[in-house]
Amino acid sequence: MKNVFLLSLLALCLASMPISTAEAAVKIGVINSMTGPEAPIGENLTNGIKLAQEDLRKKGIAVELIWEDDTGKPPIAMSAMEKLATRNGVAGVVGPYTSACSNAVAKLSERYKVPLLIPAAAKEEITRQGYKWVYRMNAPADVYASVLIDSVLALGKPKTIALIYENTDFGTSTSKTAKAYATRRGIRVVADESYQKGSPDYRSTLTKIKARNPDLVFMVSYVADAILLMRQAREIGLQPKAFLGGGAGFTTAEFAREKDISNCVLSSTQWTDDVNWAGAADFARRYKAKFGKEPTYHAACAYASMVIMAETASRNGGNRDKTRAGLKAGTWNGIMGQVKFSDYAGFTNQNNHQMLVQQLQKGRYETVFPAKFATKKPVYPFPKW
Amino acid sequence: MSMISEALVILRSIKPAGLLVFLAVLISLAAFPLVVESPYAHHIMILIFLSVIMGQSWNILGGYTGQYSVGHAAYFGTGAYTTMMLMQYQQVPPWFGMFAGAATAIAMALIIGSICFRLRGPYFVLASIAAAEILRLSALNTKELTNGAEGILATDIPPLKIGSLVVTDFLTKVPFYYTALVFALLIIAVTCIVQHSKLGFYFQAIREDQDAAHSLGINLNLHKNLSLAISAAFTSLAGSFYAVYIGFIDPTTVLSMDMSVQIVLICIIGGIGTIMGPVVGSLVLVPLSEALRSNLITQGLISAGLVSEESPVGAFLKENLAHAHVLIYGILVVVVILYMPEGVLGFVRNMVRARERSNS
Amino acid sequence: MDSASMQPVLLFLQSLISGILVGGVYALIGIGLTIIFGVMRIINFAHGDIMMIGMYLTFNLFNLFGIDPFASVLICIPLMFLFGGLLQKLFVNRVLNALPQNQILLTIGLGLIMSNTVMLIYTSDYKILTTSYSSGSFKFMGISISEPLAISFIITAVITGLLYWFLMKTDMGQAIRATAQDRQAAQLMGIDVRRMSIISFGLGAALAGTAGALISPTYYIFPQIGSTFTLKAFVITVLGGMGSVIGATLGGILIGIAESLGAVYISSGWKEVLVYMIFLLVLLFKPSGLLGKSRV
Repeated sequence: MKNVFLLSLLALCLASMPISTAEAAVKIGVINSMTGPEAPIGENLTNGIKLAQEDLRKKGIAVELIWEDDTGKPPIAMSAMEKLATRNGVAGVVGPYTSACSNAVAKLSERYKVPLLIPAAAKEEITRQGYKWVYRMNAPADVYASVLIDSVLALGKPKTIALIYENTDFGTSTSKTAKAYATRRGIRVVADESYQKGSPDYRSTLTKIKARNPDLVFMVSYVADAILLMRQAREIGLQPKAFLGGGAGFTTAEFAREKDISNCVLSSTQWTDDVNWAGAADFARRYKAKFGKEPTYHAACAYASMVIMAETASRNGGNRDKTRAGLKAGTWNGIMGQVKFSDYAGFTNQNNHQMLVQQLQKGRYETVFPAKFATKKPVYPFPKW
Repeated sequence: MSMISEALVILRSIKPAGLLVFLAVLISLAAFPLVVESPYAHHIMILIFLSVIMGQSWNILGGYTGQYSVGHAAYFGTGAYTTMMLMQYQQVPPWFGMFAGAATAIAMALIIGSICFRLRGPYFVLASIAAAEILRLSALNTKELTNGAEGILATDIPPLKIGSLVVTDFLTKVPFYYTALVFALLIIAVTCIVQHSKLGFYFQAIREDQDAAHSLGINLNLHKNLSLAISAAFTSLAGSFYAVYIGFIDPTTVLSMDMSVQIVLICIIGGIGTIMGPVVGSLVLVPLSEALRSNLITQGLISAGLVSEESPVGAFLKENLAHAHVLIYGILVVVVILYMPEGVLGFVRNMVRARERSNS
Repeated sequence: MDSASMQPVLLFLQSLISGILVGGVYALIGIGLTIIFGVMRIINFAHGDIMMIGMYLTFNLFNLFGIDPFASVLICIPLMFLFGGLLQKLFVNRVLNALPQNQILLTIGLGLIMSNTVMLIYTSDYKILTTSYSSGSFKFMGISISEPLAISFIITAVITGLLYWFLMKTDMGQAIRATAQDRQAAQLMGIDVRRMSIISFGLGAALAGTAGALISPTYYIFPQIGSTFTLKAFVITVLGGMGSVIGATLGGILIGIAESLGAVYISSGWKEVLVYMIFLLVLLFKPSGLLGKSRV
């Protein structure tokens, strides 16, 4: 008994000794959901970062990445951050994926004064707490809804909207802003239905929505449920003027492949492969060659975040304070368009990212809104099933 | 009166050697944050204490009374939510909130107990799961109250004051460390008292044979509910502590079945129905899962020169071991159940006994 | 049809039919669990994970050999039977007399191993199996009925019928029922109880795997899918009475209907609460389940 105690105490003492840094490579920590329920999306971020690592090496920027799995749980994400900040002595951290983990980690990054660049977590509050060391690449949850509603208002005069979303953090917070924004733009909310992720039958919920005959159906789901919802919407003959998908599952290659049911669905996204941002198309091509599948916007966000963090940290010799200043001052042009971390509308260090609306046309995602990035004309209203 | 005599019995049962070890451990634990400065080490220790509190609370109901609840997330979550909601919405400091949390958890335990304790064996297990699931789904759906799936984020913890004297402002991990340590010692002490008291004998009688206990005149319902109430109160303290320490809660992290299973695992891996069981379980599980997760094992193998980083084996381990940690966890559970059915503690004890026997 | 004029009666019938069809698949999962419990008194927490294995099997048969998911049931049943039997022989048989909490944890551990091994092999990507009829439906008196669900309901009915015949009419079926009724008595009567346990776990696994195969054309597949269905299977089994095949069939359909009607008339968020409420109420007032004999 005593031995177990002493041994673990000894192990902890050993663990708490700093590791000497011999090599010149700048150390960057990565926290991501590599296992657990969030892993399907987490994998896209992992891939994006791996590609970034390759490109950085080509540019002659030596980075040593320290990977930490948060398994999607906030306390484990905190363990990871503690370890990266105090034991590994990283210059900065990219991640985590989920909002819950990001929130927990952001607080620590502020305490340990480690620059943190969050690539794809949507919760608005993360960058609304006045943190100095926390930066975010992607546009927060409210934009997912507002850009979509703006795009349909540019096309017609929808009067009513029905919301159906999974009862997760992302689902509820995105729908909440959708509801508020729709009401502000004079669209009436006629149904507000959350569902438990992973249930095999949405027909009854969709039947209920059909009975209210909405002009718009706004959905927030991950890929599998996105396909299921659309399949069953067709089955029961739900026929609105437009189906709107708030990011996530509606922006994946798997969804695009289901041409029967996904054609003409509008979705908001952080990134598309046909947008005219520097290197976007090239990134998509190389990503596909390396990993055998289409990149999602998560991958693009993670790639850009890692490139920006590594370049800034390496230019500043791994000094955390200078890296933070570098992130705050810099402007980058890359696959995510222009990136600049600024303070606006209550946000701090938030990249005011332009979200895009894309539409599936013949199995391909075409950027349709805003007009200056559009590659195709949108189809509206939604064709008869 | 009976409390004092019971305390005396406990005191008499302690051997001097054991007392010395206990004091040594206590002093080294109290001195730990003063000697070791690394917040990472503090964090791991805090997780161990938290796990001890969770495991030991379950132990009172599961280990001593024999009621295998797989729904303890209900009480953990109740504590976490009560404390957090009071703190965020009513500005009640958590060191008051956690008692409100414990009270709510006891009330919850009485409701759940009145339903579940009518059932036995596997039916009780399933009912306890259902009760916890109802609570999780309710927390998801009552958005006005709990903020639903978005969870509650703590902004600031008010500093702990006595009068106008600021005891601590919770800016570092040290106050959390001592809070968790005190809670852990408290629940261990409570378990000790329960084990040696009349109450504990009733509990164990119920565990061994409910019908026999009943025929001896033990009020089954009363004692099961008492055991659950004690267990729930301390589980909720663990939940409150978790909420304040992590600073963010949502139904999927604090009310899920995963949480319930984790609580049971601590106790069973260590050794059920013993005071040291949950402690051993925590000392095994927390460092092990942390080492597996952060790939310390591969790094250790590489730096020890056993595996070359460039070799295919090394590359494979580096690539996959981090992904495989839950798999290894699962294998560990199966191995413990098959080969150490009394937990790590029981296994070690049997080994020691076997050696003593072969020596004599 | 103008959807605005959808009549309340039609809305009710539509959700009732969807509920019954989905309930058929639930029933299959529940029957598997109820057999395992009946014979061994072990709550199998890995049941959903076994179903997940069946889903991946179907997915691979479809993608590699182009075998239709419904046809693959014929391959799925024997393979999953062997898998289940092996699990029983190697692991579960060794804890048959152990403490109940250890049995529970063993199956939890096995479930973790299954889901994480699958994750290492296939990554945690969602797999979607798209057949020509995946989103097909036909109209029946104004109610739309999903083709794949209707087919799977028919297959479920056939399998349940065969299983019932097997348990009632064959020698082995009777031996299994005898073991379920009283283990020791069965042993005294010369029934090889260990062998019966292996066969029942095999049967349970085969049924869970089949449910996985049947649901895969309309559903999706990922390694962590098991836990949702494990919980559902518990509810169904208790509802019907642990160990009762007909009970589990009814329980499955009942849960399907409760979920479907709950989503329409209460809200989709609360429908699962409704399911657990029914579950607790049955436990309280008829703990032996709707059709089970009391064993409490």
